[in-house]
Amino acid sequence: METVFISDLKPFLDAVAESANGGDLYVPKKTGQGPPVREQTTFEEESRTIEISHAGTQHYVFVKYDSSAETPVEFNNIRVCMPIKEFLFSLRELAAVFPEPIEPEEIKPFAVFGLKDCDLRSLECLDRVFLEKDFEDPFYIARREKMFIISSDCFEPGESCFCSVLDGKPYPAHGFDLNISQVSDGFVVEVGSQKGKEFVDRNCELFTEPGDDAIAERDRIRAGTAEQLEQNNAGLKFDTPIRDMMTETYESDVYDIEAKTCVECQACTRVCPTCHCFYLYDTKQQDYFAKMKMWDSCMRMAYAQVAGGANPRKMLGDRLKHRLMHKFVYFLDRYGLQMCIGCGRCVDAEAGDIDIRAVLKKLNEEIGNIKVAK
Amino acid sequence: MKPNLYQPINSQIVDIVHESPTIKSYVVVPEKEFKFETGQFVELTLPGEGEAPFTPSSSPKDTKKMEITIMKVGRVTGLLHECKKGQKVGIRGPYGHGYPIEDFVGKGVYIVGGGVGLAPIRSLFLTLVERIKDFKSVVCRYGAKTPEDFIYKKALFGLWQKISGVDIRLTVDEANGQWKGNIGVVTTILKPDDVDVKNAVAVVCGPPIMMKFTTVKLLEFGFAAEDIYLSMEKNMSCGFGKCGHCMIGKFYVCKDGPVFTYQQIKAYSKIWD
Repeated sequence: METVFISDLKPFLDAVAESANGGDLYVPKKTGQGPPVREQTTFEEESRTIEISHAGTQHYVFVKYDSSAETPVEFNNIRVCMPIKEFLFSLRELAAVFPEPIEPEEIKPFAVFGLKDCDLRSLECLDRVFLEKDFEDPFYIARREKMFIISSDCFEPGESCFCSVLDGKPYPAHGFDLNISQVSDGFVVEVGSQKGKEFVDRNCELFTEPGDDAIAERDRIRAGTAEQLEQNNAGLKFDTPIRDMMTETYESDVYDIEAKTCVECQACTRVCPTCHCFYLYDTKQQDYFAKMKMWDSCMRMAYAQVAGGANPRKMLGDRLKHRLMHKFVYFLDRYGLQMCIGCGRCVDAEAGDIDIRAVLKKLNEEIGNIKVAK
Repeated sequence: MKPNLYQPINSQIVDIVHESPTIKSYVVVPEKEFKFETGQFVELTLPGEGEAPFTPSSSPKDTKKMEITIMKVGRVTGLLHECKKGQKVGIRGPYGHGYPIEDFVGKGVYIVGGGVGLAPIRSLFLTLVERIKDFKSVVCRYGAKTPEDFIYKKALFGLWQKISGVDIRLTVDEANGQWKGNIGVVTTILKPDDVDVKNAVAVVCGPPIMMKFTTVKLLEFGFAAEDIYLSMEKNMSCGFGKCGHCMIGKFYVCKDGPVFTYQQIKAYSKIWD
């Protein structure tokens, strides 16, 4: 697809906001205090070493674009904290009304700027689930069709970013309508879909041809960021494909040990862009009954419990095991792709300091021991 | 907009049968024709209160109404037990796969049930006896806590026992003086020569502990793990493999089940919990 160039973001974002037809454009905004660094304290407890680490509170959130705002829109270096699922199925939504069904609200077109490769890969996972033949979720489809995706390159990976370990890149290859790469004197814009092409054609006065030097610079930055990611994750190498590693260590007690510090805050599943569990509940309104759909978390105690009280995943370790098996084994077997994209949001969000990378590392050690024993 | 998966079909409870002190059967009439295969389940909504999964206990031949047998075990089932005739409810489904009846043809069908587990089995039983000549035999072994706790008593103690080709034996965990039958859990009436295990399938439905020990016994008899069909009742909420609550390993019980062979799920831990 074609590649174009803009020297300034503002006229471009104004045009996007304009073309959203009364819908909204969401852009990243830095929030919180303190730089995103980690302080680590290490101490021994029972049989393991616990590293308590605190991510800085600074991160990005999505806000509605305001063309008249004085501060320009920031080009986010990494993913925004909010997972993409928030745009496609909200924390709580109306799933059905009865006895008389109501016509669902019409979804207006909307656009999101600043999504990263990890976000687009998580979107692929969500699409597999909610666009699945025979069981298409009508609410998801309605929003998905109206979403205009403007992704961008990462240029300074976060400490918790480990996408490179899971075949991710700091720049998107597909799945976007437009992708933006920042270079020294402007932005390289890559067109990724028919929708994106139509936008560029409609607003051709905004775009120029990109110079060879701009493309070269973009590629240089990309390679540099990829290299940095590789370095950051040099210690996270697996001797066996993760799927096989996890299957072979299914009986491992690593999960029980790692889950010891879990406080069931469920932050990991909230911020996870691929976690999509929900529960349905019924409410009574003045003149109708409603079935509501709300995000749920498999890390919650009563999640798998049945009416009689039986619960196959009563123990925290079993819940952590199921969560990770789902991500790396079950989803892969069913849909052909891994359900963890290595965005590291769960690592930053955890109140109980469960680090998915540490769990994988330990399983890798374990499989090494199993092989030696054999 | 695509059809809404979450929208229940408006339905009404037209009759209620008291089966046992804790179990009632409800005759539910959906406002439009409703087809299902025996073993598939539905989500029954009590408007404004909640929703729960049940396998209809009636024959799939009747597409105008269905019977749903409900034990009072939790919040929603407790509220359903307070419902009167005429109560409006919602039905979603049917979900999952039914029993693979065609695979049973020519074989002995060994049905082991316990407590309210007889509900899905009744639907299967009615389907099998419709074409009883297609099967080598239909052998049923049912258990209940006390004689009072049996459901479908009239048919169970009468008509069903008289059907040619059907062999039914019952047992109770505890009984008073009037009970003439066996006393002991259901596994105490399972005998290796009940069916020819080399040419039979077993269908098990009941409380988890009963299913666990029955499966052990069936394996001892020489049943292959792929010939033992288990009705797994997990926390099915959405019904179409998305919400995640009912997962056993990689399987969504709602979509891939609710009937599984032991072979399919035996590798996963805590399947009976």
